[in-house]
Amino acid sequence: MRTSLIETEQIEAHLLQLSAPGDALVFEAKLLLDDELNDKLQWQKVAYNKIKLYGRNQLKQEIEAVHQSLFSQARHKSFSEKIRQIFSKR
Amino acid sequence: MPEINNLIRATVADREQFFIALYKSAFPSVARYISKMGGSFDEAKDVFQDALVIYYEKAANGTVSIKTNEKAYLLGISKHLWLRKFKDNVLHSPIDGIDLEAAADEEDYSENKLMHYLATAGKKCMDLLRSFYYDNVPLGDAATLFGFSGVRSATVQKYKCLEKVRETIKQKSLTYEDFLN
Repeated sequence: MRTSLIETEQIEAHLLQLSAPGDALVFEAKLLLDDELNDKLQWQKVAYNKIKLYGRNQLKQEIEAVHQSLFSQARHKSFSEKIRQIFSKR
Repeated sequence: MPEINNLIRATVADREQFFIALYKSAFPSVARYISKMGGSFDEAKDVFQDALVIYYEKAANGTVSIKTNEKAYLLGISKHLWLRKFKDNVLHSPIDGIDLEAAADEEDYSENKLMHYLATAGKKCMDLLRSFYYDNVPLGDAATLFGFSGVRSATVQKYKCLEKVRETIKQKSLTYEDFLN
């Protein structure tokens, strides 16, 4: 793996607390001395959040698609009728 | 019923089957509850879909076992979400005419632009990263799913993508900030 990827892997291990204690200490020392590494760490943290948000947005779209097919396709008619009845009885 | 392993290894098609099964087993009781509480079909749908997302995320993180009674679990989360929503509506409605959400719009604009950019220009990488970090698909399975020759090349690609996304976010965030200021 090229050097920058190894660094990305090390940042990940640090952020996700996967490093061995010795490696963690070495990395923390590096962080104190290297502003650029610090900068990368901050943006990588943001990246994980965006990836999770992306995943959640995609999942919501998948669930909505399931909903649409359940309430429009003939093969799910008995299910959709059952649900509609619950709201028509009021 | 699908087991946890199938769920976290899932492709779009697997997830579709999984959610259809959950809808059929759990949505009727959630709908009956929301209806009884005076809620509408759309409200029942919103609450149930949020409950499905929570359930999925917990299952993917391994913090809930799919073997627990999923119907009872989904009904429980839905009830909780409904009661919270009801409380929030009462507490957070803009009584003085000032909508707090409008203040966050400017921030949302650059956020949405960034997400849109990542979801279009960076879709291939985002899909791969999603499966690692959101769906928690094990490396070996992800390698097969995305057509890599093995775990090693999947790992290399994962870090390449992560690096690319990290740099894109940095670059775009700084640009949007300049634009807004």
